[in-house]
Amino acid sequence: MKKILIGLLLLPLLWASSCDKGKEDRGQIELNFKALFGADPLAMYASTYAYYDNTPLKFQLFQFYLSDIELIRADNGEAVLVSDVELVSFKDVQSQSAALQGVSLNKNDIPPGQYKAIRMGLGVSPALNSTGPGSYTPPHPLDDHYWSWALGYVFMKIEGNADIDGDGQFSDKLTFHTGADALYRTIEFNKNFEVKEGQALKLSFLADLKRVMGVNASNFLDIKTVNQDHTNNPEVYNFLYDNLESAIQLAP
Amino acid sequence: MACERPKGSLTHIPFNPKPFLLTEPASFIKMQIPANNPLTQEGVELGQRLFFEKALSLKGTHSCASCHLPEKAFSDGLAYSLGAHGRPTKRSAPSLVNVGYYYKGLFWDGRAANLEAQALMPVEDSIEMASNWDTVELRLRSHPDYPVLFRKAFGIQHSQEIDRYLAAKAIAQFERSLVNYNAKFDQVKRGEAKFTEAENRGRIIFFDIGAYGLPFAECSHCHADPLFTTQDYLNNGIQSVASLDAFPDAGRGLITGVRWDNGKFRVPTLRNIALTAPYMHDGRFQTLDEVLDHYISGGHYAENINPNVQKLRLTQKDKKDLSAFLQTLTDSSFVIKFKNFNPAQKTELSARY
Repeated sequence: MKKILIGLLLLPLLWASSCDKGKEDRGQIELNFKALFGADPLAMYASTYAYYDNTPLKFQLFQFYLSDIELIRADNGEAVLVSDVELVSFKDVQSQSAALQGVSLNKNDIPPGQYKAIRMGLGVSPALNSTGPGSYTPPHPLDDHYWSWALGYVFMKIEGNADIDGDGQFSDKLTFHTGADALYRTIEFNKNFEVKEGQALKLSFLADLKRVMGVNASNFLDIKTVNQDHTNNPEVYNFLYDNLESAIQLAP
Repeated sequence: MACERPKGSLTHIPFNPKPFLLTEPASFIKMQIPANNPLTQEGVELGQRLFFEKALSLKGTHSCASCHLPEKAFSDGLAYSLGAHGRPTKRSAPSLVNVGYYYKGLFWDGRAANLEAQALMPVEDSIEMASNWDTVELRLRSHPDYPVLFRKAFGIQHSQEIDRYLAAKAIAQFERSLVNYNAKFDQVKRGEAKFTEAENRGRIIFFDIGAYGLPFAECSHCHADPLFTTQDYLNNGIQSVASLDAFPDAGRGLITGVRWDNGKFRVPTLRNIALTAPYMHDGRFQTLDEVLDHYISGGHYAENINPNVQKLRLTQKDKKDLSAFLQTLTDSSFVIKFKNFNPAQKTELSARY
C-alpha cells in the first residue's frame, strides 16, 4: 500500500519530467537565404550591379513567398511541415555585410531524424492565396502584398533603378510584381541531413536575382523596352517566374 | 458615525469596465491591441475627453483635437499646424483615421512604436503643446471629473495614481476606436452602391488593373486598400535635392540614422483624402490636382526615390476619373459623430490656464 502511495505521489513528477523531455528532444532548423546578383552578394541601395547588357543597376526590393515548407524523411515517412508560409524579403539587406549574412527563418520543434530533401511551394499556396490580409494580425507574412482586385498575393517583387543612358543617375525605374495561382509550383532540393535532439541545423539557400531577370547573356529581359510588369504580360511574368524557380539553389 | 474618506480616495466608486465593441471590417488586418490596454467603454470615453482637453497644453490653448479636427478626418487643413506659442510645427498634422491599424510606427517618421508611446510626445514637444507631464498630471489629479473617469477606466484607488502613462493609454484607446470604413468605396465592395462610369474608370487606373487598355497610375503599390496605405516609409520624389544628405527634412532617416532613409516619410492613407488638404508631410500641394501632376511628372530624382514613382501617361480624362475615384474614399461619419461633442461644456479646467 505504501509503495502504491509513493508511486502515485511520484506520478506528477514523472509526467512533468516527460513533458520537459518532450520539448528538449526536438531539434531546430535555420533556413538561411542569401541573395546574389550573379556572383556578387546583393545589397539594396548600396551597391551597383552590371546587367547582362552592362547597364548599371541598383535595387531597393527583392522578395518572394514560400509556402508549405516540408522536410522529407529519409525513410519516406510522413513529411514534416516546417512552415505554411514565409516571406523571404531582402528589403532590409542594405550592406555587403548584411548581404553576406543573409536572412534566416528559424524554426523549432523539428523531429530529430534523417532527412533526404526539403520541399517548398514557390509563391502563396492556393489555399492561403484565397485568404487576404483581413485574416491576419500583423506582423504576419500575409498581412501585406495583396492585390484586392485580383484576390491574391504578389508572389515576387523586384524593384530597382537603372542607369540606361549612362549619365550616372539611376533614373530608369524597374518594377516587376508577379503573382497568380497558375504560377504556384513546388520545388524540391535533395540533400541528406540529420536533425539532432537539441541542436540547430542550418540549410543555406542562394537566390540569384540576375538569374531571375535572365537565363544567360543571350536570353534576358530587355529592361530598355520592358521596365515593369504587374502580371499583365504573360511573356514577361512567365519568364521571370520560371527563372525564379531556377534562381533558388540549396548550397552544397 | 460615518467614516470620512481620505482625500483623493476613489475606492467608493465602482470599477466595472465594460468591453468596447470595436467593429472591424473583415477586409482590414486585425488590429493589434496591447494586452495591457484592452479597449473598454470607460477607457475610450476618458480618451476622447483627454483628446479634446486643452489643459494638456502649457496655457490651456491646445488639445490633440486642435490639430486633428474630426471634420477634417482628424487633420487640420494647414501645411503646418500652429502650436501653443503660435509657432508652426515641423510637419503637417496627419489624419488619424484608422490609426489603430498602424503597426509600423506613428508620426510621419515612425518615431513612436505604438499609440501609447505616441500620445506621450506632443505634450512635451516645445512647439506643439509646450507643456510637461508633471504639470498636466497635477491638473488632472485636481480636476473635479478626471479622477472619477480614471477610476472607472483603470481602477485606480487614489487620484494621485493618475499619471501620463494612464492618460496615454486612454488616448490610445480612443484613437483605436476611430475605425472608418463606410466610404462609397466600402459600400460598393459590400454591394450597397455602384461606382459611376468615371469612378470605375478611375478605380481601374488607380489599381493598375490594365482593363480596357487603361493606363497605370501606380497608386496602389503604396496606397494598397483597404487602408490605402502600406504604412511603409518611402521617398516619393517631392523634394529636389542634390544628394541624399541634402534633404531639408530627412524624415525617416533622422530616426534610423540610415542614409538611404533620408527623405522618406510614412505613406499616408488616402481614406478621406478629399478632406485632408493640403497634402504631403509639408503640405506643399494644395489640391489633389497638384498631387496628381506631381506623380504624372515622375517626381524629382534621388538615389532612393521609390521605383514605383514612375512617369505616368494619363490624359486629362484619366486624371479627372482618378480624382473621381479618390472622392469615393470619403466617409464623413466622423463629422456627424463628433458634431455635438463639446468638451468645453464638460470641463472648465482648460479655462483656468
